[in-house]
Amino acid sequence: VIRYTLTRLALLLLGLVVASVLIFVTLRVLPGDVAQVIAGTNSTPEQIDAIRQELGLDQPLVAQYLDWIGGVLRGDLGSSMLTGTPVADELVEKAQVTVPLGILSLIVALVVSLPLGVLSAMRRGRADGTFMSVGAQALAAVPVVWAGMMLVVVFAIWLGWLPAQGFPRAGWEDPAAALRALALPALTIGIVEGAMLLRFVRSATLQAVGQDFVRTAAAKGLTRDAALLRHGLPTVGLSVITVLGLQVAGIIVGAVVIEQLFTLPGIGRMLVADVSARDLPKVQGELLVLTSFVLIVGFFVDLVHRLIDPRQREAA
Amino acid sequence: MLRRTALAATALLAAGALLLTACTGGGEPAQTTAGSPDPDASVAIRLVLEPGNLDIRQTAGAALDQILVDNIYQGLVARTPEQDIEASLASDWTVSDDGLTYTFTLREGVKFHNGEDLLPSDVVWSLQTRKATPEWRDSARLANVTSIAAEGQVITLTLSAPDSTLLWNLTGRAGIILKQGDKTDYQTKANGTGPFVLTSWKQGDSITFERNAEYWGDAPQVAEVVFAYIPENQAALNAALAGDVDVVTGFDANLKGQIEATGDFALELGASTDKGTLAFNQTKPPLDDKRVRQAIRQAIDHEAIVEALASGQTQYGPIPELDPGYEDLSDVAPFDPEAASALLEEANAQDLNLTLTIPNFYGPTVPTVLVSNLNDVGITLTVDSVDFPTWLNDVYVNKDYDLSFVLHTEARDFENWANPDYYFTYDNPQVQDLYAQSIAATDEATAEDLLAQAARIVAEDHAGDWLYNGSSVIAVGSNISGMPSINVNERLNLAELAKSDG
Repeated sequence: VIRYTLTRLALLLLGLVVASVLIFVTLRVLPGDVAQVIAGTNSTPEQIDAIRQELGLDQPLVAQYLDWIGGVLRGDLGSSMLTGTPVADELVEKAQVTVPLGILSLIVALVVSLPLGVLSAMRRGRADGTFMSVGAQALAAVPVVWAGMMLVVVFAIWLGWLPAQGFPRAGWEDPAAALRALALPALTIGIVEGAMLLRFVRSATLQAVGQDFVRTAAAKGLTRDAALLRHGLPTVGLSVITVLGLQVAGIIVGAVVIEQLFTLPGIGRMLVADVSARDLPKVQGELLVLTSFVLIVGFFVDLVHRLIDPRQREAA
Repeated sequence: MLRRTALAATALLAAGALLLTACTGGGEPAQTTAGSPDPDASVAIRLVLEPGNLDIRQTAGAALDQILVDNIYQGLVARTPEQDIEASLASDWTVSDDGLTYTFTLREGVKFHNGEDLLPSDVVWSLQTRKATPEWRDSARLANVTSIAAEGQVITLTLSAPDSTLLWNLTGRAGIILKQGDKTDYQTKANGTGPFVLTSWKQGDSITFERNAEYWGDAPQVAEVVFAYIPENQAALNAALAGDVDVVTGFDANLKGQIEATGDFALELGASTDKGTLAFNQTKPPLDDKRVRQAIRQAIDHEAIVEALASGQTQYGPIPELDPGYEDLSDVAPFDPEAASALLEEANAQDLNLTLTIPNFYGPTVPTVLVSNLNDVGITLTVDSVDFPTWLNDVYVNKDYDLSFVLHTEARDFENWANPDYYFTYDNPQVQDLYAQSIAATDEATAEDLLAQAARIVAEDHAGDWLYNGSSVIAVGSNISGMPSINVNERLNLAELAKSDG
């Protein structure tokens, strides 16, 4: 197990280095830079050059990369070129919106997918089971933006129960208002992600039904459903944990899109704003944190999976 | 894939808008309720474009001028909403007959927001530093100023040559007075002399001003102003309907019915210097041919654009009605697709393929009309919607484009047509000469007349096209008064703002 952990850790570090290079290079391919944005539409080339020099944009790219990554290794994510604010501070502030949004979305996704997925597998072949699986198929194919707009139309505009966009200026000092503001966005991401998860739970359950130990349990006198629930579900749970790693990535992407739609002042909206101002040090820091988060979640999912699955333990 | 998603999103948004229309009724706007101004009031104003940072010295963009100049930072002189020049930190001023000496009397007892006194030496330092620091905005606008001196409260500017635009420029970035040696972090904070104090900036969300109780003039009637940055008009409408904002600026006049249906808002249209500018890259074929440029202008149905926007007016030359030097130039390029086709044939430029580069924050209205209008005369227009830094890089800096659309909001910016290096790529020595003469003129009427002559030549050269002269579209809550409506994209002077408790 230790050797496995070390190999995975090495892979994780390699992944992070590759990600940092990719992030850095991809952003440099974008046309335009922050000096042009600062100088605007009434500037001379000399002005732009002077600002570039001031910001260190005239340094060679390799030097800029090493400068950045050196800072990251010392725990410094860098600062915004526009405001001078440290990237870490900004991330912490915006995370107050994005992290609760992600957690709420995940809860919605699990609440939707687990019972319905198992149920639709058990009801396979019957009308309601088929309906659930077709419904999930359709929902999983829906873009989050569309789902969000439909929810806004129904819950914010027709029924008037929830706010259509925005986040209370007081933030979490007014928890009720903050939760209400996050309700529709979390529901949007949760339903779409949940529909994808539902399909996965269903097929994992179906697989479990076919397993020897479930059939044996059924043969020993349990009903098929009871056998499935008692002996099959643990294996389903295991598969779900594996796929949750992927879901986290899906939820992060969903949050970036949904924060635009609901004008939530979170990490997603900050990221888009920073790209369109070409505040690259900030974008780099933000992307690196998000990527690391997904990679680290994947790392732990692998570890947990290995620790709790008796079959894998023995194989090692 | 991305494009398909964007298309789908647009279609859905349209569907969403239709649904919205279906479920909000008609109704008349309510009469303004009479009530007394509430001295503790907080007014929330929706703005569209958030500044990248607050550095008034260096960072370009109307988003800064809009809220920071007049409200936070001030100059010796200021401009009124009607675009006249009025006293500000200087209680009065005189200009010598030869236009070479400007004398200002500085007010006494003015304090900066950090409590320090405004000294005559701060004025001298601010103007001198601005002039000597090319990275600072509008530094070049002080080029003719040779000396800035203070004697007691009297500030004297001496010029090497007359400059009819100097006073106007002093109402803008070029004239802003800062505290000498100030250690303020200008990127995220501010320290000026204006009626409001900047108290917080929540990036991606809002900027908050508070009343400056120590203000040298009449202190504001409201205790607090919150600028809420909401880019999408639909979201802004929702915020207004939910009562989250008291004023919506930069609104879409097509949504008038919906916002007025609440009875709490009234839509106001104010004049502006927003110029929907279609630039032609005239350094290369086919747009180096004046007939092709004229054909494009005559193929465009400007009235249809104004109608589609439900606000604004047509503008056929480089100078809008609010600026000096304006004249009606509609005779230069009247809408006439047949004449346009004939011109293209004469220029041997049929079946043209052109690309329009447009920053992606502008809606689909303008490109849609252009594609259809130009298609009618045999020009295939491809729309390339790009983010603003890409536009800056490709069009503004590298001049790598055919046609470009940008809404230029700056007042009195004719100089760009007299600058052959500007991205307009227009180079006419006669225009440059007339513009130089207009600057050197010592009386306003002469200056205006010279500008008008130059503007007519620009229009007759078809150096560009002006798709429309925008309006300031604002929806104002019925308990709000003193909200300016003229040219608010450029300046939003809130000194008179009040909110009644009735």
